[in-house]
Amino acid sequence: MKKLCAACLAVTSLLLFSGCATTEKKPAVVLTGNILVDGPNAIANGPKRDKVLWEYRTAAACMRAGRYPEAKQYLDDALLALGGIYGKDKDASKARGYFHEESKKTFIGEPYERVMAYYYRGILYWMDGEPDNARACFRSGQIEDSSSEGEQYNADYVLLDYLDGLASVKLGGDGSDAFKRALAEDKKFGKPPAYDAEANVLFFVEFSPGPRKYAAGEYREELHFSIARPPVHSAVVSVDGRTLRAHPYDDLWFQATTRGGRVMDHVLANKAVFKKSTDIAGDVGIIGGATTAMASRNQTGQEVGLGLLAAGIITKVVSSAATPAADTRAWDNLPRYLSFAALKLSPGPHVATIEFQAEGGAPLPNLTKTITINVPADKHDKVVFVSDASITPQTL
Amino acid sequence: MNTIKNKYWSVLMVTATAGWLAGCASSGVKNPSGVPVTEMRPDERGFVAGTGVESQDLVSVTDKMARGILGIPQIAGAQGVPRVVLDPVKNETRFPINKDIFLTRIRAQLNEKAAGKVLFLARDRMDALQHERDLKLSGQVTSTSDPKIVEFKGADFFLTGSLQGLTTKTSAGTSDYILYAFQLIDARTSDIIWESSAEIKKQGLEDAAYR
Repeated sequence: MKKLCAACLAVTSLLLFSGCATTEKKPAVVLTGNILVDGPNAIANGPKRDKVLWEYRTAAACMRAGRYPEAKQYLDDALLALGGIYGKDKDASKARGYFHEESKKTFIGEPYERVMAYYYRGILYWMDGEPDNARACFRSGQIEDSSSEGEQYNADYVLLDYLDGLASVKLGGDGSDAFKRALAEDKKFGKPPAYDAEANVLFFVEFSPGPRKYAAGEYREELHFSIARPPVHSAVVSVDGRTLRAHPYDDLWFQATTRGGRVMDHVLANKAVFKKSTDIAGDVGIIGGATTAMASRNQTGQEVGLGLLAAGIITKVVSSAATPAADTRAWDNLPRYLSFAALKLSPGPHVATIEFQAEGGAPLPNLTKTITINVPADKHDKVVFVSDASITPQTL
Repeated sequence: MNTIKNKYWSVLMVTATAGWLAGCASSGVKNPSGVPVTEMRPDERGFVAGTGVESQDLVSVTDKMARGILGIPQIAGAQGVPRVVLDPVKNETRFPINKDIFLTRIRAQLNEKAAGKVLFLARDRMDALQHERDLKLSGQVTSTSDPKIVEFKGADFFLTGSLQGLTTKTSAGTSDYILYAFQLIDARTSDIIWESSAEIKKQGLEDAAYR
């Protein structure tokens, strides 16, 4: 009997320690709540698997603070990781195992998060006078949205196609195909306007908090998305006595929830089944073993019962070590709505006011942003990025 | 006694099997470990779709273009030395790139391997060159020739090109085909006197954990 217990203990210990060979030893990053402090700290000192996540978050915060060169660096590094995920990946492989959480894999985000990394980088390229590279980013963003299972909602970002076409028009090409696609994709909001090749000031507007992730299911194996009631529903850009309404063209909540199934969902479901079945088998072993041991009147029966009991306990340990929980790490400072407006302004300084509006058009004066725009005399476009979370006044 | 031993072994086997099964949650998923990026010939049938412009593409494409330019009669048999201006490449792919890098390498290859057969004009330095000429004209710096005479050369040819792409992406992976096309255009007649292209197709599949 002692030999049996020793053997069982040895196997249990092996199982318990099987996942500990590569445990990261880095101390946890202390967060201050200020993303512009926490982000660089977490990127430098946090777990490698979360680096892209923090680069995403920090880039978005830098965009809103008008710190565009920093945003560029973070996004370039994140996109490098995003573009190099092909082939074998040790952490991703572990994340598929029964005893490692999905969150152990290197974070690159769900399709809607990857799309936003390309979208922001595209804005920054356009800002630098490179509409062709901006267009490349918008196209890559649309491709990222094609990766999910299920065909119905593939590559259906209105703005990505609209901006693809606008960049083509600006470069002297034909943007009509992209414009047609944008019109076809827009089923929820108003149609985007026809291209104005003369419009030299481009407003990229975003508002309301974006989707959050949470895990549901018996073992938190199902990835779901939640959304807060949007405080902002539209925006109005005023400059030189002219007003432009910035309607939403894309809704990240819609994009997150219509992404289709993930291959990883099947893996997590398998993990949950494993956890459940080993848990049940453990219960059966413990109860059956204990009953047999107590009811038996001879030594053999008692030993068999105790053996079953031990196996049941081990199976319960294995079950409790299984981790089917879905990865809920999220780019949590994304907006919900993406909008765009463009107009022609004469070279020189102009003061633009961006007013955000609640449902029904009620103004939200505490969110109003003021940006001074210096329109260049050359043919380059002036790109203005503004969020309801932007820190203003800014001078561009 | 043997019966008891067998039962102990059964218990151990059950436990070991449970442990052995650990890590198999992704069974039934095709290519769970992913497939590494593989460079392929454009005419080779791929398994899915690919990645972007990399250094090996740049080297192979620009080597081919430089060899092609040197072989054309207008350059090889030209009377005098033809002057070429680089016109930025059009990027119509989904990959943001440094557009100048292709033409810079073609220029460098031609200058290295055919010095004297063709000359490139530094139009991207015109501001600095004009500033230098202004300094000479104003007498602020010395000059070895009459600065009033314009000696900036006009172009005989424009070298330019375009990058165009096709992308396929499904839950099974990504495929990218890029067509690199370069042209030498006669600046006087607008004739395209030479054109060559190169094609590269790549495809890759990420780990199932990212799909």
